[in-house]
Amino acid sequence: MKPLHIALLILASIGVAAVVSVYGNTTQIVSFNAADSLAKEEPNKEYHVYCKLNKAKEIQYDPQKDPNLLIFSAIDSLGTEKMVKYLKPKPQDLERSEKILIIGSSEGAYFHAKTIFSKCPSKYEDTPVKD
Amino acid sequence: MQTKSEIITFNGEWLWLGNLGQIFVVLMFVTALLSTIFYFRSVRNDSNQEALFARRSFYVHTFSVIAVFVILFAIIFNHRFEYYYAWRHSSLSLPVYYMISCFWEGQEGSFLLWLFWNAVIGLVLIKVSKKWERSTMTIIAFAQIALSSMLVGFHLGDFKFGSSPFDLLREQRPDFLQIPILGQLGIGNYLQVFKDGNGLNQLLQNYWMVIHPPTLFFGFAVAIVPFAYSIAGLWRKEDRSWIDPALIWGLICVGILGTGIIMGGFWAYESLSFGGYWAWDPVENASLLPWLIMAAAVHLMLISKNTGRHIFTSHLLTQLSFWLVLYATFLTRSGILGEASVHSFTDLGLSGQLLIFLLAFIVISWASTIDKKKSQNQILVTVLGVFALVIALSYAIPETQKGLYEGFHSIVKNGGIVAFLIVIVLFVYNLYKRTKTDLRDEHLSSREFWMFMGSMFLILSLIQVFSGTSIPVFNKLFGFKTATPVATDYNRVQLWMSMPIMALMSIGQFFTYRESKDGKLYKNISISFALAFIVTILVNLNFGVQEFKYLVFLFLAVWLVVANAMYFILKKKPKVFGWGSSVSHVGFGVLLTGVLISSVNQKVLTSTQTGIDMAPEVNEKGQTDVKGIAFNRENRILYKNQKIEIGDYFANYTKKEVGIGKDSIDKHFNILFVDKVTKDSFLLRPKTQNNPKMGLIAEPSTKHYISKDVFSHVNYESGMDKVEPFSGFKTSNVKVGQTFSTESGKCQMVVKSIDRYSSNQGIVLSVNIMVNRLNDSILLHPEFRVNEQNGSFEANPAESNELGLILMIQNIKILDPDPTKQNIEFQIQSGEKTPVKDYIVLKVISFPWINLVWAGTIIMLIGFILAVVNRIKIQQKLAA
Repeated sequence: MKPLHIALLILASIGVAAVVSVYGNTTQIVSFNAADSLAKEEPNKEYHVYCKLNKAKEIQYDPQKDPNLLIFSAIDSLGTEKMVKYLKPKPQDLERSEKILIIGSSEGAYFHAKTIFSKCPSKYEDTPVKD
Repeated sequence: MQTKSEIITFNGEWLWLGNLGQIFVVLMFVTALLSTIFYFRSVRNDSNQEALFARRSFYVHTFSVIAVFVILFAIIFNHRFEYYYAWRHSSLSLPVYYMISCFWEGQEGSFLLWLFWNAVIGLVLIKVSKKWERSTMTIIAFAQIALSSMLVGFHLGDFKFGSSPFDLLREQRPDFLQIPILGQLGIGNYLQVFKDGNGLNQLLQNYWMVIHPPTLFFGFAVAIVPFAYSIAGLWRKEDRSWIDPALIWGLICVGILGTGIIMGGFWAYESLSFGGYWAWDPVENASLLPWLIMAAAVHLMLISKNTGRHIFTSHLLTQLSFWLVLYATFLTRSGILGEASVHSFTDLGLSGQLLIFLLAFIVISWASTIDKKKSQNQILVTVLGVFALVIALSYAIPETQKGLYEGFHSIVKNGGIVAFLIVIVLFVYNLYKRTKTDLRDEHLSSREFWMFMGSMFLILSLIQVFSGTSIPVFNKLFGFKTATPVATDYNRVQLWMSMPIMALMSIGQFFTYRESKDGKLYKNISISFALAFIVTILVNLNFGVQEFKYLVFLFLAVWLVVANAMYFILKKKPKVFGWGSSVSHVGFGVLLTGVLISSVNQKVLTSTQTGIDMAPEVNEKGQTDVKGIAFNRENRILYKNQKIEIGDYFANYTKKEVGIGKDSIDKHFNILFVDKVTKDSFLLRPKTQNNPKMGLIAEPSTKHYISKDVFSHVNYESGMDKVEPFSGFKTSNVKVGQTFSTESGKCQMVVKSIDRYSSNQGIVLSVNIMVNRLNDSILLHPEFRVNEQNGSFEANPAESNELGLILMIQNIKILDPDPTKQNIEFQIQSGEKTPVKDYIVLKVISFPWINLVWAGTIIMLIGFILAVVNRIKIQQKLAA
């Protein structure tokens, strides 16, 4: 064994460790119901849920009471509705969004979102420009 | 027969311009094809004539690329909105200096830019590469075929070959011809309706966005040159003479690409509101991948050049770096990243074509490693055939098809993956067999050993970023549902990955190639270590880093700076151009120091973490839900003219400046910050823009100091609240000095005085009314305008959201004609609503020593420039 070979072995094992750490730590894209049941198994893990804003219910955001509290209702791809609590200001394009990705965990009646990505319809798909 | 009578003449179109453009598109495709074929033949047949023809084709190709560029610019400049590209990416109000940015908003423009840089690179290669011209230019010209094909825009049924920038609006959006108003105007006059374009993305209308994309693209484009030299080296069976020129281009690539990446970070920091310069966004990662591997490849080339060792790894990394450029392009342009990214790129349905592009280059790499001339053709044809079939089939059959096709599709897909892996394994195996070098007598005291180790750690760092960023690809391929990693996942691993890299960068230079015989070697390393230790303690008096792992990182970054500075002082290299590596390593150390301090010590000044959940919820079990404690409350509400404490400052939201643009409302919020101790003050003006096409865009405002930045952005403002209409209208008749109130009596008003002035539309009476509501008072000025000629009048109401009041003068009765007496009776209507306070929701972050990030980048760039100039000089000397 030459030093280079030993070094290569060490490098390879670190490489494997790096890949394992990426995939070992990843989380899943789930539905609200799955997030509920998973929360009991691993309470501190965060999950990704793709959902839509439930426009039938009002978005609760009153900055004068608390600028860091937003509560809204969302429906996931399986049709389950859940209240989402987000301890940050309302994302500026929440109402316009057609799809929302929320990252967080289920806690009782609420899904606590740590991060929200809202995807808006492309600006190009707007109706023709009117003069 | 019926269709003939329905042919419509479209008025006002400049079709000749697009047709001219389309001719040049085809010309640039054909000349790229000719140039490739004849360069290839000139290598095979060693024919000067064919080389000359190939070169001339490339000149015509370059001319065509420039012509397409100019014509597309002319279309945008002249607002020819009959062309889809101009309609979609520009508008009448777009300033000329942002028109160039239209090129990188759309995919066609981006490919055009890439073609342009490649053409420029090709011209330089023709001029400087001498005996390498024919072989390297075969590769460049081949890339031009692939890129030109993206712009050809040839449709055959559902099959799409490229997407032309000269497509017409009415062809791309036939639905636009159906809009009702055209029924009256006539469809032929549709341009009278589509007088303005959709406009350029507001975020791209920023000076950094004028220079960041072309820089990044240039860095991407340059990566093809080391690749071409590596292929040419294998092709011409040259052992390592390809490395000298490849190294120069590799250094240019690392320097430019690195600068382009940081420019993007700086743009994000200055104009996006996520509060930082790097978010491990998949698009950012995609540009980082080629950089990491090219940096490693450059070091391997240095080893091979100086010692003749590791030629296999030099080839492998050089070729992989270009593959990763193509992979990055595929990731960002195919739409596969989807929701995983804040950037969004529209998918033009060219994913298949992009994939073929990537695979074609992998096949070229593989073919260049095959030794025996006879078997070469057969294997090449077989593999190409398999690839083409697999791809054609998997794209011909939509994935959603059920039943018989479903199983077939998965067989094709999995077959494709297996074929792909076989080609990769064969490539690596062939390459190894052809280029393996003797690795005996590798000394632990040799520079190449430590440099090799450093480069391999760069590759490890790359592996982690690659695996994370590729998750959407694996999800798509294997139907997984794995979520993309977030920034903290990357930071956690990369923090440790960077440590050995920094340590090896610190010690590497002290060693000499092959075997270090310098007796002072270990002494010098020890001195630099001790010096770095002292410097770390000193600088940390200011930085105040506490956590152990961050202290280790800080020490290593400081060591990197100290050791390389020391090396360069000890060496006393006489010529400034020899300082390249030391200077760029010092720059990298400064950059990483800045990254550490500005992230670890970054403080959200508006944070109010008191440990109490301000919105406790009672859950189903009747327990108080206190999950909120884990989160920082990071935003504060600022009412107008109400001073609050934010970190070390008193902050006062003093003024709102509203500007109405052509298609947006811009609001600047002036916030005065006063340092509690020094009383120094500064003004921040974060902005919100309400744009009907883009929604709300917040632009941060930052105060730059040498040792820190104070960064602020508005997350919400009272103007976004739902507007409640006025109600409870009441009419009162009053004179100057009289008091009156609203219907509910909540507002008490008194008429103070009347101002009278004449305008071109008549005499205007402006009534000054003092309003009191609880403790607030304000002066409102409703106006009444009388036209003396025709006796008509017009009212201009005044309203205050803060007091929830609107006042309108409905009529006047002049009791005394002498204007100085002000004896006029007004009939005033008042309306009420709940008062809306003027406020903003603000986040303020301090980034200490973020300037080190930018300073480090500039130092690094200077180092790269020195190194490139040095290498060019050395080569010229050798040639002379």
